[in-house]
Amino acid sequence: MPESMMQPNLQGLGPVEGVRAAALARWQDRGWPGPKDESWRFTRLSSLAKMELQPAVANGALTPADMPQLNGLPEAAHVIRFHNGVMVSTATDGLPTAIASRQLDDDDLASLMALLPSGHPVTDLSLAAMTSGLCLEVAPGAKVKTPIILVFSGDDSALSTHPAVLLRLGRGAQAVVAEWHKSAVGLAAPVLGVDIGDEARLDYAKIQSEGAATTHLAATGIKMGENAVLDGFQLSVGGRLARLEAHVMLAAEKSDCRLSAIYLGRGNQHHDITTNMIHAKGHCQSNQVIRGVLDDAARGVFQGKVHVAQDAQKTDGQQMSRALLLSRKAEADAKPELEIYADDVICAHGATVGELDETQLFYLTSRGITRALAKSMLISAFLDDAIDMVENTDLADLLRPHVSGWMQSLKGGVDG
Amino acid sequence: MTPLLEIKDLHASVGETPILKGINLTINHGEIHAIMGPNGSGKSTMSYVLSGRDGYEVTGGDVLMNGQSILEMEADERARAGMFLAFQYPVELPGVAGMSFLRAAVNARRIEAGEDEIDQLEFVKMVRSKAKDLSINEDMLKRAVNVGFSGGEKKRYEILQMALLEPQLAVLDETDSGLDVDALKIVSDGVNMLRGEQRSMLVITHYQRLLNHIVPDYVHILANGKIRRSGGKELALEVEESGYAGIDDAA
Repeated sequence: MPESMMQPNLQGLGPVEGVRAAALARWQDRGWPGPKDESWRFTRLSSLAKMELQPAVANGALTPADMPQLNGLPEAAHVIRFHNGVMVSTATDGLPTAIASRQLDDDDLASLMALLPSGHPVTDLSLAAMTSGLCLEVAPGAKVKTPIILVFSGDDSALSTHPAVLLRLGRGAQAVVAEWHKSAVGLAAPVLGVDIGDEARLDYAKIQSEGAATTHLAATGIKMGENAVLDGFQLSVGGRLARLEAHVMLAAEKSDCRLSAIYLGRGNQHHDITTNMIHAKGHCQSNQVIRGVLDDAARGVFQGKVHVAQDAQKTDGQQMSRALLLSRKAEADAKPELEIYADDVICAHGATVGELDETQLFYLTSRGITRALAKSMLISAFLDDAIDMVENTDLADLLRPHVSGWMQSLKGGVDG
Repeated sequence: MTPLLEIKDLHASVGETPILKGINLTINHGEIHAIMGPNGSGKSTMSYVLSGRDGYEVTGGDVLMNGQSILEMEADERARAGMFLAFQYPVELPGVAGMSFLRAAVNARRIEAGEDEIDQLEFVKMVRSKAKDLSINEDMLKRAVNVGFSGGEKKRYEILQMALLEPQLAVLDETDSGLDVDALKIVSDGVNMLRGEQRSMLVITHYQRLLNHIVPDYVHILANGKIRRSGGKELALEVEESGYAGIDDAA
């Protein structure tokens, strides 16, 4: 792709060094993946070329007073705000003492890079054009129950935002972390790296509820130590085009990774949930419950790869994706992939696409329940399979209103 | 007094196939009518046409409830107007909690009547008391609708819904199918408790045995899409002895 066509336009970017310089060089060399790139076959980025995007820059320190108000957060949470891609200068003040924070240095950037596949376009772009870089480290053995919520707001549609966050949990540490993306920027391209140490546990939720014109392309890389636990969930409900891509490396034995997701689409929205679950060592479990509901002409994509290395014996890898189409024009694509090189494993995957069951709808309406309410009862039941996986109640409480809010604006029975 | 239900020369098709070929039937308030007939006679089609299921096209005639045609009404509107169908095969709703389902149904009726939604505590009390009469235990109430229920439990759960919704007209579609003797007795006792001046029933069955428990005022024999004979409860016994053979010709 000629450089002039590449968005965002990085020509105004100041000098970058080290890891970022290498990322910039790769990005300038390769740009966005083209239509022949298999992993981007269902999610085309050609619409980005038509935009005029500039990476956000920090113009003086942002203070909390510059921020739009937030609703719907638990009172006890510690909120770290980013606005138009830039972290509020005082955002990490008052964090629990067990959590150390600092700006990402070059070593951190190298660690972050190593958690994601090399040469990933979102990682390369966002580290090169990084608008804020935050490293959070939870001390070994510390059990932090207060949710840490990273909120990414923004209002400038000419901006692309490139926040990068590295989260490290020391041995035996526990933390509850959520990301909430609710901006109206042109392109939000967050990079998150998570390193969960041995015996550590992370409860994690991501909410993508960007504005209707925003493109959201996220790259998340997670590495799990021995006996580590991840209870993770991703919700994609906003934006114009969104891809939530997560790579998980089960790097030591007996780790347990749950990474479920819900996507909810209407209008011309496009949601892509892409996961790559790599079982490098044996005796680990992974479980992914994916549920999608698509109305109007919305499109949903689930690509889920489970890779089991040769010496990852006794792996239990489960993955189930189900999509519900509420309209004839909606479309769902699923590409589950199992790549198994070990011989003593339990792996199961499945993907279905269907409509609401007319017999079930008739049963409900024959009891006097309106068709609109009947539909919403069945959709809720369908989505509960996934959202019930979330064990942490603070995170579940954070997620559920976004799902019920989407349901409330369902058109009642228009499609018969 | 206007009859509760008047079925007038009702014709209905499924796809291109005519199933009901001119049904006439009048049910007055408080009456219990039984429809008996062999397999394929149109019994279940009749229950679906009355309750407003999609895919059953009325090609002629009319159905009046309290003097008003219901054919233009959707299934949920008919239900709120006092129609209830006890399903031959109650439908499993995985993930839909039983109590919220029952409450949504009761509230739909109340909202239609301009009443407030039912108080949660009052509702739970009411469900428990009616469930007890039908030997429905707490565990069943907690489960998702019909999920993991035995055949008998499903039928009892249908009658529980009927008890909660207090319909003017209950259509019981093969309520005896799949029931053993004990379950049949529980279900029938439940239905009999709901008999009264304000409630009429249309009991659809293949076998006479249900009618020993739910004793009808009138019996009609449906065959090949038409009511071929009508009579009192003794007609059911006659069918039990001589079978449905020859009924077609009687019309």
